[in-house]
Amino acid sequence: MKKSAILLIGIIAVAIGVIISTYADSSTYGSFNDAKDSAAELHVVGRLDLAKDMVYNPKKDANYFSFYVKDNKGTACKIVFTGTKPQDFERSEQIVLTGKMVGEEFHASKILMKCPSKYNKDQVEVKSTLQQS
Amino acid sequence: MDTVFIGEHLWPGKLGQFFVVLSFAAALLATLSYYFETIKDKPDGSWLKIARSAYFVNLMAIIGIGTCLFYIIYNHLFEYHYAWAHSSKSLPVYYIISCFWEGQEGSFWLWTFWQSVLGFVLVRKAKSWEPPVMAVFMLSQTFLASMLLGVEILGIRVGSSPFILLRDAVQAPIFARPEYLSMVADGNGLNPLLQNYWMVIHPPTLFLGFASMIVPFAYALAGLWQKRYTEWISMALPWALFAVMVLGAGIIMGSFWAYEALNFGGFWAWDPVENASLIPWITLIAAVHVLLAYKHSGQAYFTATFLTLLSFLLVLYASFLTRSGILGETSVHSFTDLGMFWQLLVFIGVFTLIALVLVIKRWKYMPFSAKEEETYSREFWLFVGAIVLGLACLQVLATTSIPVFNKIFGTEIAPPTQVIAHYNKWQLPFALVVVFISGFSQFLKYKKTDIRSFYVQLGRAALIAAVLTAISGYIAGIYTNSMFMLLMFSSIFSVVCNAGILYNAIMGKWKLAGSALAHIGFGFLLIGAMVAAATNKIISVNNSGIGFGQEFAKDNNPRENIILYLNEPIKMDKYTVTYLGDSVSGTNTLYRVNYQVIDLKTAKVTENFDLYPNAQQNVKMRQIIASPDTRHYLWKDIYTHVSSVPLKEEATHEPHEGHSEEEDFGKPSIRAVKLGDTIAVRDAKIVVKAIKKGVHVNNMPLSPTDVSVALSLEVLTKTKIQVVEPVFVIKDGNVYDFGKTIEDLGLKLRFTNIKPQDNSLELTVLQRPPAEKKWIVMKAIVFPFINFFWGGTILMTIGFFLAILRRRKELKTA
Repeated sequence: MKKSAILLIGIIAVAIGVIISTYADSSTYGSFNDAKDSAAELHVVGRLDLAKDMVYNPKKDANYFSFYVKDNKGTACKIVFTGTKPQDFERSEQIVLTGKMVGEEFHASKILMKCPSKYNKDQVEVKSTLQQS
Repeated sequence: MDTVFIGEHLWPGKLGQFFVVLSFAAALLATLSYYFETIKDKPDGSWLKIARSAYFVNLMAIIGIGTCLFYIIYNHLFEYHYAWAHSSKSLPVYYIISCFWEGQEGSFWLWTFWQSVLGFVLVRKAKSWEPPVMAVFMLSQTFLASMLLGVEILGIRVGSSPFILLRDAVQAPIFARPEYLSMVADGNGLNPLLQNYWMVIHPPTLFLGFASMIVPFAYALAGLWQKRYTEWISMALPWALFAVMVLGAGIIMGSFWAYEALNFGGFWAWDPVENASLIPWITLIAAVHVLLAYKHSGQAYFTATFLTLLSFLLVLYASFLTRSGILGETSVHSFTDLGMFWQLLVFIGVFTLIALVLVIKRWKYMPFSAKEEETYSREFWLFVGAIVLGLACLQVLATTSIPVFNKIFGTEIAPPTQVIAHYNKWQLPFALVVVFISGFSQFLKYKKTDIRSFYVQLGRAALIAAVLTAISGYIAGIYTNSMFMLLMFSSIFSVVCNAGILYNAIMGKWKLAGSALAHIGFGFLLIGAMVAAATNKIISVNNSGIGFGQEFAKDNNPRENIILYLNEPIKMDKYTVTYLGDSVSGTNTLYRVNYQVIDLKTAKVTENFDLYPNAQQNVKMRQIIASPDTRHYLWKDIYTHVSSVPLKEEATHEPHEGHSEEEDFGKPSIRAVKLGDTIAVRDAKIVVKAIKKGVHVNNMPLSPTDVSVALSLEVLTKTKIQVVEPVFVIKDGNVYDFGKTIEDLGLKLRFTNIKPQDNSLELTVLQRPPAEKKWIVMKAIVFPFINFFWGGTILMTIGFFLAILRRRKELKTA
């Protein structure tokens, strides 16, 4: 067999491996209910539930942060994150959580916030007395 | 109704917009003129004349756009959306230039600016290549110029202009008022993360890299178009090396910025935006290697052409990923969507189509080599190496493109949950193979190699590498992981092989120095990246959290942050770490964290240094932006950043030093004391020692009938004794007293009365309520071997530079 043929087979094999691996390692977006049925970690997209308590007390435990999120289907769930609380957390509009359910709590290993960052929020701040538009 | 707005400066925007349209028109004219010049049977230079003039007009217009934009930002003309959105009055002048690349429009401008600068070199130096190369080149300029147009054509909005007025960009009732501008207090300001000196030079370097990628692409297309199939390769080679060098430097600067200024705790995160710039870089490196293979052996023509073309198309794809908003949920730092989704796609589509059509049309004329490469030849392994690099790219591309697949197929696949592990598991073996090939192929010659001498050299290098691997594997502590050890071996092997070449280069064959140095740099880079990524150790691990449920311990979640109270040392790894207070510098709060290494036996401090991790506190936005501070050693770095601090506004009711109004203190307690009495207050004891009569009081002349008495008090704390003497005065029948304050105890002592009837003295004790103990929550990471990573990249860049010199020289002598 020619070398080029061997090489070509090798390339195709690796390429297939890459694609399978991408698919196998990929995760899914789901709701908290999906998370209850799944042992693997998944992504949940939702919004912060500000009506419920947010706990971060560094003096008690600098690595415990809990809060509530309503997923896109409207289910609320308590989230626990081993780490510090991002300081502008309340302002986040949308949250993408990565993690899994442990009992009734969702343990997040990663939190990605989409903030209405002041750098792209088109809201003009007006001097003093005038009402903000 | 036309409102006449007060205070607006409309001419810089109008002038700027004129330049935008001019640059587009000139680029289009230049493209067409160069095209007609190229296809003319007997070129008489008439089209060329027009094309060149149009090119210069384009260049001038681009400089004009930049000047207008700079003028607007520099003068804080917030009637312009760009200035309002990306700058503020308080911004230092040297960061104004950073505003250019915070927004999409500015970064497009930067790209088109660099392209036109490179075009200048081509117009002057490309000679017979000028018409076809510049035709391709100016087409790209035309597309980039269209990104800045911001006009509606047939109801479709094309581009986004940096000169849009705030009142046009944002809908708000205040814009109905003629004097609205006087109410816009300040701009939104520049993202604090970009206010870093690396951010002043990283984007221009990166964009110079992106911009220079068009040159090899244009040469390849021109070669196919003009049927100069093989000539273009030598022409494109120095340019390809230039692009690789600059883009590589740009990527590494970004990585260094992330490491020095961001608090994600690392130098590479496989973020889609990072990947987007890495992919074309790797394909172009692969292209450079096969271009060489073809130049020296006549093999692998198609692969060389294909990779050169692909690299630029991937640059366009990268800008699509980062600018179209498609990455959405997967990346923290992509640009927001400016509605240019389709325009960017057309950009990619047109160039892909041109490349595809030319390749198909010229397919049968391509110089395919009939004979197989020898296994023991350099060209064969250059080719294999390039293929492996291509596969590595494919892997990065596949995972990065998940959001694109979702968009195309309507699926909802999420990226891997363990992103870094996912990439590493593939990229580690790829790197291992590539670096191994970059080692032994140094012993191979083009076309045919003496097999015996090849194996002798290979064996010798492998033996040296094995010994060095054993030693460094032990030092780095990675010997338990066979994959890491293999990569370590391959990298060291490559360094050893190339060090031999470098030695020969210094001894006289200087032209080999570039590649040898670049390969050595790559080997070091891999060693550094692997060891730092694999063995970095979070030393601030803290398991002192109390009782939030046992579930945590089971999960084996490391508690990576530690709380430090002011002046309370904590043992972290071998360091004794103390938070010593904070200071304010500009918008930054610097937290002084002292690290000490104390020898256990002798109790001597063997090492002592302070780190100042800082945080920009933004009280208005209730957020902090933390930046790390790093202690650099030759073999490791200690990296520290604060992850949570008390917000400043919450701290305002804490006492400030130096001002001691009585209301700060708690309720006064009045004590009747006698000489020799001891009274206890919080944190201290007070002993009444003596009475001194007739003391002199500043600015208060006393007559002999007046009384002035000082009470000598000893204040004892655990660590020290202080003596204070409050004074009691009766002057002209009026009573005064002069209290003394001990700041560090928050204690104020007043001698308020003398009661002769029971021979007692009245002491009024005031003490501030106990201040809340100051704290910070921080994270500290040790990165071993990280200097190999930075050092390797510097060597690699120098290597590329030397290689450019060599290939340019070859062009001149050829």
